[in-house]
Amino acid sequence: MSDEQVFRSVTCLGCGCGCDDLEVRIGDGRIVGVSPPCPVATRWFGDGSAPAEIRVNAKPATLDNAIEAAALLLAGAERPMVLLGPDLTTRAQRTAIALADALRAEVDGATSDTAAAGILAAQRRGRAGATLGEIRNRADVILFWAVDPRERYPRFVERYAHGGSRAHLSVSVGSDRGPAQAELAVELAPESELEALGVIRAVARGQRLDGLPDALRPAVAIGERLLKGRYVAIVYDAEPGQRPRDDQRADSLIALAQILNGPTRAMLAGLRAGGNRSGAEAALTWQTGYPMRVSFREGHPRYRAGRAGVERLRARGADAVLVAGAAASLGPLPLKSVPGVVIGPGASGVAAARVAIDTGTAGIHEAGTGYRMDDVPLPLSSVLRHPHPAAESLQLLLRALRQRAPGR
Amino acid sequence: MSGERLRIVGGAVHDPANGVDGEVRDICIEDGRIVASLPAGAPTLDATGMVVMPGGVDIHAHFASSSCNHARRLIPDEHAADPAPAPSLLEGDGRSGGGGTVPTTFTTGYRYAGLGYTTAFDAAVAPLLARHSHAELDDTPCVDGGIFVLMGNDEYLLRQIERGERDRARDYTAWLLGATGGYAVKIVNPGGIEAWKTGQRNVTGLDDAVSGRKVTPRAILETLTDAANALGLPHPVHIHCNNLGVPGNAATTLASMETLAGRRAHFTHVQFHSYGGEPGKGWASAAARVMQYVNAHPEVSVDVGQVMFGPAMTITADAPVEYLLHSTSGRRWTNIDIELESGCGIVPLTYKEKAAVSALQWVVGLELFLLSQDPWRVVLSTDHPNGGSFLSYPALIQLLMSRTVREDTLKRINQKFLAGSALADGLAREYTLSEIAVITRAGPARLLGLTMKGHLGVGADADVTVYARDPDIAAMFSTPRYVLKAGRVVVEEGHLRRAPAGQRLRLAPGFDDAVLRDLRKHFGAHGSVSFDNYAVRELPGEPLALGVRS
Repeated sequence: MSDEQVFRSVTCLGCGCGCDDLEVRIGDGRIVGVSPPCPVATRWFGDGSAPAEIRVNAKPATLDNAIEAAALLLAGAERPMVLLGPDLTTRAQRTAIALADALRAEVDGATSDTAAAGILAAQRRGRAGATLGEIRNRADVILFWAVDPRERYPRFVERYAHGGSRAHLSVSVGSDRGPAQAELAVELAPESELEALGVIRAVARGQRLDGLPDALRPAVAIGERLLKGRYVAIVYDAEPGQRPRDDQRADSLIALAQILNGPTRAMLAGLRAGGNRSGAEAALTWQTGYPMRVSFREGHPRYRAGRAGVERLRARGADAVLVAGAAASLGPLPLKSVPGVVIGPGASGVAAARVAIDTGTAGIHEAGTGYRMDDVPLPLSSVLRHPHPAAESLQLLLRALRQRAPGR
Repeated sequence: MSGERLRIVGGAVHDPANGVDGEVRDICIEDGRIVASLPAGAPTLDATGMVVMPGGVDIHAHFASSSCNHARRLIPDEHAADPAPAPSLLEGDGRSGGGGTVPTTFTTGYRYAGLGYTTAFDAAVAPLLARHSHAELDDTPCVDGGIFVLMGNDEYLLRQIERGERDRARDYTAWLLGATGGYAVKIVNPGGIEAWKTGQRNVTGLDDAVSGRKVTPRAILETLTDAANALGLPHPVHIHCNNLGVPGNAATTLASMETLAGRRAHFTHVQFHSYGGEPGKGWASAAARVMQYVNAHPEVSVDVGQVMFGPAMTITADAPVEYLLHSTSGRRWTNIDIELESGCGIVPLTYKEKAAVSALQWVVGLELFLLSQDPWRVVLSTDHPNGGSFLSYPALIQLLMSRTVREDTLKRINQKFLAGSALADGLAREYTLSEIAVITRAGPARLLGLTMKGHLGVGADADVTVYARDPDIAAMFSTPRYVLKAGRVVVEEGHLRRAPAGQRLRLAPGFDDAVLRDLRKHFGAHGSVSFDNYAVRELPGEPLALGVRS
């Protein structure tokens, strides 16, 4: 016990809640305790052990050789792609975007596949949002729309939406269940979800609604209850494990939260998965102007808003790919047919990678910055060491590529 | 780097801080600083027939913040219409990006340099999001820069005011500047953002109770002004008054200035705060009244926040204003309430010559410039990108230097609210080159307390802009012939040649440690970020020393 080391105020990137109050205990070079014992945090930190292999064509290689092989492969491509997987610090993400710029590659993030509907809707409409502490400090009515955060965001309610005299309202849409315990709980059939949101918006606007079918009457009750709130928070899953039934859910909820700011105050909180996904969108936006799906092919950023990078890769939209970050979270990648460089946690587990450099995980082995789901940047700790930090490996690759093609 | 020398020869030097008004003289540079002389044979840059000024200093713009990043997301169409390929640099690697009203970070740095500006401050950063601003500044090359920290609606500060704890408020101010890597204290709509969040929606008078508490906008103004002055900050408190954009708001602006009479304070984008008239009954210019006060009070400085016709992006912590703009225009709107500290509202906007309010705003801004008797205290700004992009500064300079150009425009624009305006009655004044040098570099540098900026005296940073004379003033100021940053040529003949990282301008004033214990409790009870994680770590460079004033 005497050599146990304790890190306090550690930030967890297990989900997008960005809890930064964790205590992580290290013993014998491993993580031996994470408290509070959130199941997502416990799983995400694990014991902190991480592979540290470097491979070129499935054979062990030195870092120098791997960087050289990666530069050769990527520089020779005509249509390269960069995929930003999760678990990178923002510094590493910025470097990966610089690589895409230097390569005139397409670049996309992990969330383009899962969170695009909400991102695109917010680009069309704007949005009424807030940092999560505003829910904690002000929200007296919280509407959970087709999500019970306890399942995938275990500490969200405890940290941001618990206690006081606030009312929880719950809407379930088919199998997307809201919390069971709520002052008002409503069930909606998936096919009437958008209509119900239309009714709630009408109530928020003060419109009279006559002759509504029975199935939509509960929506009136929700609307009327929201109007009694002084500060309303609407919580939905902006990155559900499976796609929502209707991509227009995000659009309708954004519109509702905006309208509610006439009669009262309101914000919409989209729950987001972890691994600093929001950080990738932030860095892409400040460097390219677009939060995802960017192409540098013409020598400057262009928005390819229509299709996710991973999908384009699967459709052979690239002839070489650099995966930066945790490749496992991106789903199956066609690296047998598209030669790939993987630099990130667990890279050596990607069997078909031509070049694989295992790196540490942001917030476990690498310090830096990671973003909470509400775009609040938080410091990340390094509680263990890894021989190949992702940010440095990506920087080495960038340098190697620029030496091949100076000026870019 | 050691021993790098350059002599700029033959140019007409406009260095008003050192009393130099267009005299032809050499500027000697060694190791990034201005020196008195160089040995014969030092490399030269021929500026014969050209105009030499210090690098421009932007005292108020929005270009490196979480709010700006939200704004960037709203305008994919603008980025697409204004692509910015990577520049070919002599040293280092250029980055591509996109423009529009809120350009990407690298492009922002390049375009500032291309304009001859070498220092810029982001004027509104919520402390909680300061880490984000520093990351954007890391990716904004060519300009030295920093952030102003939003404090006028800060919960901890409001509590100290309620309790009459002025000393604690001062200590908190000092701590917060250091913790966020900030350069100045910013107040936006004192109390109004907190009111917006509580359902009071806004405050309108200096003595309104903020959300029913024993705090008023007046008390916020006084507390933070005194704190900044007591700490000896190089730039005094930077104030965006209550009632922005509302007809009749000049009364609030003047009352704010009067309440702080005798105390150093900077009032920002006063164009947006200098309207006569009454809500619901029409608008008028009150620029003359506001400028009369400014002229008579040497402790007051302002920047104008000129509106330029064309596309703009309104980005402000003054969230209730943006709600009003959204609800009356139906335009896209982003609002982000920022816990315990501030807010953020964003609405894209276009100022049109034929729109009555836009036309009045354009006139009010120009009147403020033209009625000013002391250019050292009236700085050029467009509140980029709120009144227009920083790329419109050359066109604004042209309006100030040419009565003909502004009268041509004046004829075209909507006249509805212009009756009785001084500009419409004919203001003959035309700014001189030296006055332009004052309002774009020497003045803002002095007001910011940046003793090494805004002039070309011995010891100054060798940030220098060389313009080729051109009867088309806008063209002359749009494309300087040379721009030097810390003694090295970064722009040559309109082309970016180098893109060095800028210096971070930040402070870390001292404070009584007792505040920390109290803050830890406050964060524990109300914050969503651990106190231990709040301060920004790993900031580049060292904080500037306090107490060095020109």
